Amino acid sequence: MVDAVSSNPLVPELGKIIKIIQETPDVKTFHITTDKGKPFTPMPGQLAMLSLLDVGEAMFSITSQGPEYLEIAIKKVGTLTEALHEAEEGQTVGIRGPYGNGFPLDMMKGKNLLFIAGGIGLAPVRSLINYCAEHREDYGNMWIIYGSRSPADLCFKEDLTYNWFKVENCRVNVTVDRGDENWNGHEGFVPAYLEELKPSPENCVAVTCGPPIMIKFVLQSLEKLGFKDDQIVTTLEMRMKCGVGKCGRCNIGSHYVCLDGPVFTLEQLKKMPNEY
Amino acid sequence: MSSIQEQMRIRARELLTSGQVQMVIGWEKGSFWYLSPPVFITDPAEVDRLIWDEFCTHNLAKYLLDYKLSEDKIALFVKGCDTRGINRLLQDNQIQRDKVYLIGIKCSGIKDGRQAQVLGEERKGEVPLAYKCSYCTSPAPLVYDELIEGTDDSKVKSENFKGTGRYELVEKIEAMTPDERYAFWTGHYDRCLRCYACRNICPACNCRECIFDRSQSGWCGKQMNRSENLYFAITRAMHVAGRCIECGECERACPVGIPIMALNQKIIKEINDLFGEYEAGVDLEMKPPMVQYNSDDPDEFE
Amino acid sequence: MLKIKQTEMPQLLNAWAQKSRVFVPQDRGGVSAFLPWDGKGTLTLGKGNTLEPPKDIFFPRTETMYRYQVAEAATTLETMPPQKEQHVLVGIRSCDARSLEIMDDVFLTKGYEDEFYRQKRENTVVIALACNEALPTCFCTAFEIDPGRAEGVDVQMWMTSDSYLVEAITDKGEELLKQTSELLTPVENETLPDAAKPTLKVDVEGITEKLQQMFEHLYWAEVSRKCLGCGACTYLCPTCHCFDIQSENRGSSGFKFRCWDSCMFSEYTRMAGGHNPRPSKKERMRNRFLHKLQYIPERYGKYGCVGCGRCLDRCPVNVDITRVIREIKEVTL
Repeated sequence: MVDAVSSNPLVPELGKIIKIIQETPDVKTFHITTDKGKPFTPMPGQLAMLSLLDVGEAMFSITSQGPEYLEIAIKKVGTLTEALHEAEEGQTVGIRGPYGNGFPLDMMKGKNLLFIAGGIGLAPVRSLINYCAEHREDYGNMWIIYGSRSPADLCFKEDLTYNWFKVENCRVNVTVDRGDENWNGHEGFVPAYLEELKPSPENCVAVTCGPPIMIKFVLQSLEKLGFKDDQIVTTLEMRMKCGVGKCGRCNIGSHYVCLDGPVFTLEQLKKMPNEY
Repeated sequence: MSSIQEQMRIRARELLTSGQVQMVIGWEKGSFWYLSPPVFITDPAEVDRLIWDEFCTHNLAKYLLDYKLSEDKIALFVKGCDTRGINRLLQDNQIQRDKVYLIGIKCSGIKDGRQAQVLGEERKGEVPLAYKCSYCTSPAPLVYDELIEGTDDSKVKSENFKGTGRYELVEKIEAMTPDERYAFWTGHYDRCLRCYACRNICPACNCRECIFDRSQSGWCGKQMNRSENLYFAITRAMHVAGRCIECGECERACPVGIPIMALNQKIIKEINDLFGEYEAGVDLEMKPPMVQYNSDDPDEFE
Repeated sequence: MLKIKQTEMPQLLNAWAQKSRVFVPQDRGGVSAFLPWDGKGTLTLGKGNTLEPPKDIFFPRTETMYRYQVAEAATTLETMPPQKEQHVLVGIRSCDARSLEIMDDVFLTKGYEDEFYRQKRENTVVIALACNEALPTCFCTAFEIDPGRAEGVDVQMWMTSDSYLVEAITDKGEELLKQTSELLTPVENETLPDAAKPTLKVDVEGITEKLQQMFEHLYWAEVSRKCLGCGACTYLCPTCHCFDIQSENRGSSGFKFRCWDSCMFSEYTRMAGGHNPRPSKKERMRNRFLHKLQYIPERYGKYGCVGCGRCLDRCPVNVDITRVIREIKEVTL
């Protein structure tokens, strides 16, 4: 190994998958560590470039972290994610990061926080929920509204049913598009549920992440509830290769999502070209 | 030629104004005297942009694929070679005949724009005919809804038609030793930028999804090196085997001057030797040799 | 100032090639490019501009980033040794010199330095050659580039009827010229040849501001109709710098490489789930022009086009950036 190039931002560090949790039929959470412990210490909302050396590399949001490891929740959608889903504990991976801006923690300080997520969209939001739970005194009330297609597709069930209920002044509401015989919770789409629950926009920041179609209607619902553009925060997804604003493909206007994003307020997004 | 151009404009205006077609695709004068690129007219007020001159080389047939899902009817100006492209797309069920209105032009041969650029405007008269025109077998449109009057293909048939030039480079390459041949093709394909202009302009390349747009598939790597470039070169050529209409657009479009037509014509020559004479896009009813099987087909592997 | 006869240029190149890899315009199958000088090639130095831009020297078409071995026992990763080889890049034009400044902005600023680029850039002495004659496709002066003197280079050369005049600009350039002082004659009061005067004119004043209001304009659908969606313009552009990163495997070992990529390709932005934010040539061509004329100016404070005219020269369907600029200025919002 040559020192001169190992500082290269495009070369990953080798790490290992130490734990795999099957969240849903097509989502698994991977705990990743390196010989020196946690690969790096990301801020909530930041990204990691994860690779299986002989398969490929892709950008994922970091869903949480422990003292010695990063947690990355991954949905099976393509070649790399399929290979990752085949992997077993002990698998060597490449990891580099952290990338991106993360959530605007300063702007959120002292505010009530409304988290609205759908499906795997809870992954990036979870890093923020866990962070705010750890720094409880810095934030107002927390309210999590989460939905998925079916009860089987709900991610992070332990958080939803247990961990987040223990957080002080934190409310959790879960809905599914369609329940099954064992489901006695709420049924319906996230935006409709949001309008039913009527959270107040007062001194509140809403953070939303999920499938594009959900985000589209959540934004309309938030507007109806009286949320202003600078009170709404979301994260964007684009195809990425380098992660450091050089390779070109994740641009939206003159912004690079890997560097200047992935977190944007609706106010910022409205000033950017509609191309994502 | 002005009368041809005048008729083109008149017909385009009539077709657009009457609503018979929603768009006319033809040629306009480009940035320089030796360029006559494609133009797309939807507004009858713009028909005066249409031109006809000796640099109207572009085969416009491929553009029809961009409007495959459109309800619009499109009028297209076509030279002889262009109509072979139309037939090819019809044979592959890529376009519907009733959604296209073809205005034929009997072609007297097109000039070589690249050589025109080198010679300069002062020596305009010396610009040679495009090489592909010197052995053209179909200067008159093979399929059309109407023909522009006064167009004439006699010049290319008499003065310039050599008939033998078609395989000139192919035969030169065939005469090389294997090492010379390797040096010839690697020399050219080492320059290949993998920009895919040759593929994109080709009326025979009409796969909905090209393997070269799926680099993750593992068929062809994205490295720009000799091995991958040659794999690309051969695969592209084989994929248009029996379907190349010899419009020469791939070679003209190539930004680094690779003699792509020699590859295509080598394959045409082989197919003709093996399965009998076949000219792609000439006879709509005749099936391309590579998409049919006859019990008396030669079997080289026996 | 120093001077060398045109006929003696090969000797000077040979002398530099003793210690460095010398890249100089040469003919390769009818195409002029910056190729390594081995004393045998056909020089095209001073004859117009190269068709292929010099970016390949710093940002190769394909470049290995690291190697790996995937094994049950232990998976290993091996980085590439630092690039120590010294390069001399001879004869770039003022337009291409500006392109290197834009590449520097992209690869060396905004929080991350691209190591692969930086090493090659630092190990290269850049020698510019002033233009005496403009090609019909040249429009560098539109971007306030002086064809008679390049920016940010180590050595500037001018071509006279029988000689080259040579002037060191930086210490790095001075050092190189000192190595070959026996071949270079000091001269005084030499008159520099007149700089070329490009005839292709285009006024870019206010173009960025206009484009900022044009993202949704119908113009993009119109102008992109004839575009083939090939990558010729981007690969010949001296400032296009997009790349892809992929793996190449041979059994259990392999390497990760990066290679040029083009925003004109469908695969470029297509995401794993199939969604593509730039699904057709309209969006892709718009992105390319906005990148050159709006996004790069917004991000780095200079235009992303240098007026070299390569795209205009080689586009198979004559998509002409100067015409696009003129049309954009006339478009009603």
